[in-house]
Amino acid sequence: MPDTTTRRRTLFAAAAVAVLVTLSAVAAPLASARPAHEIPVAPASGDLSGPTTDGWEDVPAATVPLASAPSSVPNADQTSIERVHVQAARGDGRLYLRLQWHDATRDVATNETRAFADSVAVQFPVNTSSRPPIAMGGPTNRVNVWYWSGATGTEELLAGGAGSTTELQSPSVNASAVHRGSGENATWTVVYTRDVDAPGANRTTIADDGDLDVAFAVWNGSNSERAGRKSVSEWHYFPFGPGPEGPPYETVLWTIAGIAIVGVVAVTAFGVHRSRGGMN
Amino acid sequence: MSSQNEQQDGSEDTHVNVADGVDHQVAMVMDLNKCIGCQTCTIACKSLWTEGGGREYMYWNNVETKPGEGYPRGWEDSGGGWKSGEHSERETGEIPSEEEYGRPWEFNHSEIMYEGSDEPLRPREGAEWGPNWDEDQGAGEYPNSYYFYLPRICNHCTHPSCVEACPRSAIYKRAEDGIVLVDQDRCRGYRYCVEGCPYKKVYYNTVSKQSEKCIFCYPRLEGEGPDGETYAPACAEECPPQLRLVGFLDDEAGPIYKLVEEYEVALPLHPEFQTQPNVYYIPPYAPPQHTDEGETVDVERIPREYLEELFGERVHDALDTIERERQRVRQGGESELMELLQHKNPAKQYRLEVFDDA
Ligand code: SF4
Ligand code: SF4
Repeated sequence: MPDTTTRRRTLFAAAAVAVLVTLSAVAAPLASARPAHEIPVAPASGDLSGPTTDGWEDVPAATVPLASAPSSVPNADQTSIERVHVQAARGDGRLYLRLQWHDATRDVATNETRAFADSVAVQFPVNTSSRPPIAMGGPTNRVNVWYWSGATGTEELLAGGAGSTTELQSPSVNASAVHRGSGENATWTVVYTRDVDAPGANRTTIADDGDLDVAFAVWNGSNSERAGRKSVSEWHYFPFGPGPEGPPYETVLWTIAGIAIVGVVAVTAFGVHRSRGGMN
Repeated sequence: MSSQNEQQDGSEDTHVNVADGVDHQVAMVMDLNKCIGCQTCTIACKSLWTEGGGREYMYWNNVETKPGEGYPRGWEDSGGGWKSGEHSERETGEIPSEEEYGRPWEFNHSEIMYEGSDEPLRPREGAEWGPNWDEDQGAGEYPNSYYFYLPRICNHCTHPSCVEACPRSAIYKRAEDGIVLVDQDRCRGYRYCVEGCPYKKVYYNTVSKQSEKCIFCYPRLEGEGPDGETYAPACAEECPPQLRLVGFLDDEAGPIYKLVEEYEVALPLHPEFQTQPNVYYIPPYAPPQHTDEGETVDVERIPREYLEELFGERVHDALDTIERERQRVRQGGESELMELLQHKNPAKQYRLEVFDDA
């Protein structure tokens, strides 16, 4: 088992190097291959049920930048989490989401006057045909939120503007989380799962085709982040099914891999050539 | 009487500044000259509302020694309130730590009661700070040292910065009497109210994970007890020297209105926080200083600057008015103000049903 992991890591490292090398050469075509706000959705295979189950190794990740949310609460601009890595997979009638971000401290208790818990939220439009205001939606354009907090676990929420959050009584979403590592490498990993077919008033419908808008928020408890003091993303989207947005993700992946291989071969050949030349 | 009530309801006809959307404003006047620091009010409140369940550290009513650090420690410098009387921008504040409130102590009861230990009864450990820790310390030098007690509850402010601080509008000022309450169904424990109150009179329940505060004993006001009678808040009713008047600020026939609005001898604490409190204090007037030989000298024992720090510059006029009226009585004259400050008739002390038919 460790052997396989090591081999996988090596392979992964090699692939990463290849992608990096290629990136510098073909950055422009790549960017157009996957629009900046698109988060790939892989077909679900393997075990995706937990934050560290091995099915996640094959699911591509998107890095979503975060910034302090505009908010009227004090010190709203003092937030600490700058990005979240998002993976999504769909299959067997379920949607799986995995979110990962660095946070040096695991804050899961709120039993002291100054203690706040690390939390994360995924936001979807209730009515998927139009984009609600990014800050918790609006009164006529509400959002369905999958909220997880280290202190209270999962909640499914409905909001129609800042301060209007209400909990849905029978949540359709589950989350499980783990905090691993220490210092710089300490990371929260949270996995959400929801049945694709989960009808309910004020609940986002996950369709088979078209794009689904999605946004993210992260709170660092030890930095007193709560409510409007949070790091948030812009609207992103999951491209579900064949849409007019471009080639399916796998095609893009294969293209990248192809270019990467060519790139690596070229760079290696060039390098070998040079070092030989240098020895003379 | 009814025409007077009508006048009070049309707020431009009275100069009582009741908050927008509030019909009448409950108010309390505490005469600091009568407080003996017995903490009966504190215990009355605690045994009614904050005995357990994450409330152990809370004292919705506390009595602290002044000058002193107070409860929570250093609350006067913990921020909150408004930047100005325009009430447009708030001052940021801090959430006090458990240490600043004072953690509930564990005592060595079991050792003494069951294990035959002959050590004195005392807290096990961690007894390094607590509410009124600096009791009776005060300031000044013998023979002119001084201190007084300051009982504090939520001021049910006219411009409550706690209400404004809540991003969920979970804390509100109720329309019928201006009592400020936390809606436990809406509160999500963000604690912006805790840091936003300059008096640190909202508390976070560490078990329910929601904020809680003094409710001005509204169920007692509403006659929710077994006998269906109206009662003043427990801190007032239980006070041995009966130093608290309870009623409505806009009840122009009541003693609170007279003391606050007419004589202007009852003052809010720290008016510079700009929340416009509805708990008012008759400032303390101590006997003058004296020499080592016991001779009286014409110097005030409690420095005016200190009282000004607490009650603002109106404290000078208030103390002057009280002194003038005392003088008048000493010379055989009559003084309504002195009557009001000495009155023991409960019918006048608690005027809670004046607006019942309004
Ligand atoms: S004293 Fe504090 S908690 Fe009470 S109403 Fe005023 S601001 Fe709010
Ligand atoms: S019960 Fe009355 S006298 Fe005793 S501490 Fe409270 S306010 Fe002061």
